[in-house]
Amino acid sequence: MRLPTRKLLDRSFSGLGVFSILLMAAALIILLGPIFVRGFGAFVFRGTVEYRRVMRDKFGRGDRAAIAQEVAAATAARQNVYDAIAEFEADRSRRREYRSALRELKDAVRALLGPFPDDPRPALLRDQYGQTRWDRARAKLHDLLYRVEYDYSDETRMGVPLDVPRANDFKGTSLEPLFGYIEQNLEQMLRPRLTVYWRFLFDESYDAHFFGGIWPAVLGTLYLTLGAMLIAAPLGIVAAIYLAEYAGEGRLISVLRTCISTLAGVPSIVFGLFGLAFFVNSLHVSGSKSVLAGSLTLAVLVLPTVIRASEEAIRAVPQTYKEAALSLGASRWHTAISVILPAAIPGVLTSIIISMGRAAGETAPIMFTAAVSLGKPLKLWETLSQPTPALPWNIYNLCTEHAAVDEIRHVQYGMVLTLIVLVLLLNITAIVLRARISKKLRG
Amino acid sequence: MATESPQARDEALGEELLLGQGAGLMKTAGALVGHGFLLLVTSISALAVLFIFFFIIRDALPFFRLEGLRGFFTSTEWYPSGSPPVFGALALFFGSGLVTAGAVFVAVPLGVAAAVCMSDILPFGVRQIVKPVVEVLAAIPSVAFGFFALVVFAPMLQEHGGALLALGAWLIGAPLGFLAIVVLSDLLADRLPDGARWAGRAGFIVLLGGLAVLGMLRLTGALADVTIYSGRNALNVSIILGIMALPTVVSVSEDALSAVGRELREGSYALGATRAETMLKVVIPAARSGILAAVLLGVMRAIGETMVVWMASGNAAQIPKPWYNILEPVRTVTATIAGDMGEADHVTGSARYHVLFALALCLLTFSFLCNVVSEWASRRSRARSG
Repeated sequence: MRLPTRKLLDRSFSGLGVFSILLMAAALIILLGPIFVRGFGAFVFRGTVEYRRVMRDKFGRGDRAAIAQEVAAATAARQNVYDAIAEFEADRSRRREYRSALRELKDAVRALLGPFPDDPRPALLRDQYGQTRWDRARAKLHDLLYRVEYDYSDETRMGVPLDVPRANDFKGTSLEPLFGYIEQNLEQMLRPRLTVYWRFLFDESYDAHFFGGIWPAVLGTLYLTLGAMLIAAPLGIVAAIYLAEYAGEGRLISVLRTCISTLAGVPSIVFGLFGLAFFVNSLHVSGSKSVLAGSLTLAVLVLPTVIRASEEAIRAVPQTYKEAALSLGASRWHTAISVILPAAIPGVLTSIIISMGRAAGETAPIMFTAAVSLGKPLKLWETLSQPTPALPWNIYNLCTEHAAVDEIRHVQYGMVLTLIVLVLLLNITAIVLRARISKKLRG
Repeated sequence: MATESPQARDEALGEELLLGQGAGLMKTAGALVGHGFLLLVTSISALAVLFIFFFIIRDALPFFRLEGLRGFFTSTEWYPSGSPPVFGALALFFGSGLVTAGAVFVAVPLGVAAAVCMSDILPFGVRQIVKPVVEVLAAIPSVAFGFFALVVFAPMLQEHGGALLALGAWLIGAPLGFLAIVVLSDLLADRLPDGARWAGRAGFIVLLGGLAVLGMLRLTGALADVTIYSGRNALNVSIILGIMALPTVVSVSEDALSAVGRELREGSYALGATRAETMLKVVIPAARSGILAAVLLGVMRAIGETMVVWMASGNAAQIPKPWYNILEPVRTVTATIAGDMGEADHVTGSARYHVLFALALCLLTFSFLCNVVSEWASRRSRARSG
């Protein structure tokens, strides 16, 4: 091959490497972008008067007089809608012809604005209020204005959804102008305003996450993570001290090391089954699922990570420290505890923080041992016997098994954002800590 | 420490130095007990592995006793709640294998290229920026990947599936095609007489390049017409799993590449090899056991992953037709364990409950084998470079 070609190939080889790194970075951005943007929307959004009513009724927040005034203004704007529908209903001659169209319309209005003034009080909390968020209100407005029909004319493809204006259903009646009125006056009826709902993190949820925040899940995740670290950290550090300072190269030690690396390779779902079979069904640490059982399972899961990283941190302590301590007559244990461990503390801490991030994000191990989809925030002593909601499990649960997946997208995104920020904060702390250690060791 | 006066410290030190015979014995005994205690704590993790195997096997055996081995491994009929229930797990194994293979296809070329780039090409400053990117990617919880796959990526695939496939084809085809054209036209031009070489090379590049672009256009045109009926399919999961396995592959193979000594690289450069030739012909072959370990760890990460596949693979227990059709939904072993346990939980003792442990046992055994091989490979690579 000629030299210029070889050079060109060399360049393209480097280019290929850079290309793959860029692709990786792009993947990270594509992944985190929507989650950050839409997750932010759970905290900052345009809240309607219905949102302020929920806050007043359920959490006792807000200026009652101001809210009452707003509700009165909104009700005044809505009255035209109710009047028009009532007037149309009063005309008995067309009742049969428009029955189903009218029912659909009334349901759409209920979904948008809440129950009619003369409706009996609905059983479900979500039916007692209109849309609390302006983006959801826009979506519901679209549902009110248009009916979806499927076009099956092209037989080779799936049905194509088409929007049919509902106004057509009421052509020539007194209700036809109502649609234009609602579209134009929706702001008066719902009075959206920029709202910062930072308490999303610290509020309990109402009616299966339709209203309120995610505190039970956040708290559950904190309990599980801290519990797992309380168990895994002491065991892991002691094991790391042993492996780094005491253990030689014997057969027993190599078996131990193989076991630790095998443990690190066990799939997380198997940990879940193990936790169920061992901690719950055999040891009976609690009646059924509990935070304790979940923490124990997570502790076994992160143990190898803690051991490996701590061992590395302990080995990174300069040999001279140890020699100095031993030459002063300190015993091995004394040296390890009072000289080597303090010097290795930042590194050990890093390993613990990274493992915490791992434990906080794991779903499979807790789903048979600790997690439930709904619950109150637990008191500390209840963690010994009660299951808890937890962020990873609730994310799964809300976006697959919830009855109204699309209605609570903002809650799902808010949860994912919270979990990711929690894990990233832990990891960034670890990265910064490690950078400082390596600077110290170098300098 | 600071409050202790120097005098008091000296006295304390003096006491330590004036140990009697008995105290020495005590100390030795104490050290032995301490050693034993440390060993005990350390072996907890070993015990944990044994316990995991024991408890999974204990609950898996009843299934094999009830239903036998043959149907489990050879049948694709998976109706655990039917009457009578049928437990043919072949389709599940196939689903796991398919998405894992897809993930390897994504993660290994990208990961090894990125590792080469990080260990030998990027300057130190840039590397310090790239490393956290890899770490952040590794830290993101799997349920967040699953959420992305289900809520963002699946609808995207469903609506713009053809365009995305075409984009993917360009991402793979363009760099590879470029390399192939350069090499081919150079090889062909070498056969021409001296005078015509320049023109010949240019001609070959234009000719082959034109052909390649035409071919790519036809291919992407065909791909763009593909309709993806459901975004929850093996392709979606393969890509996401590949991205999840990427950090493992990158960091482990980077370690392996860095462990190859400077002497080898310098020797190769001294012989006049370019960096690409040095990497491809010297460093990567020298690091191949480390890279094998990296690939195996990536495979383990992909095959053991639960949330992504459970949420986004479609969960249809079938072998796609034809078998390589990754646009069809599949169901994996992990997703089956996660999904069926909720229902089987109440019928502890039934075949339906124990079959999940049987699946977990297969998964555990596979991971264990992968782990043994990867340990062996990384030990070999350490021994060779050390």
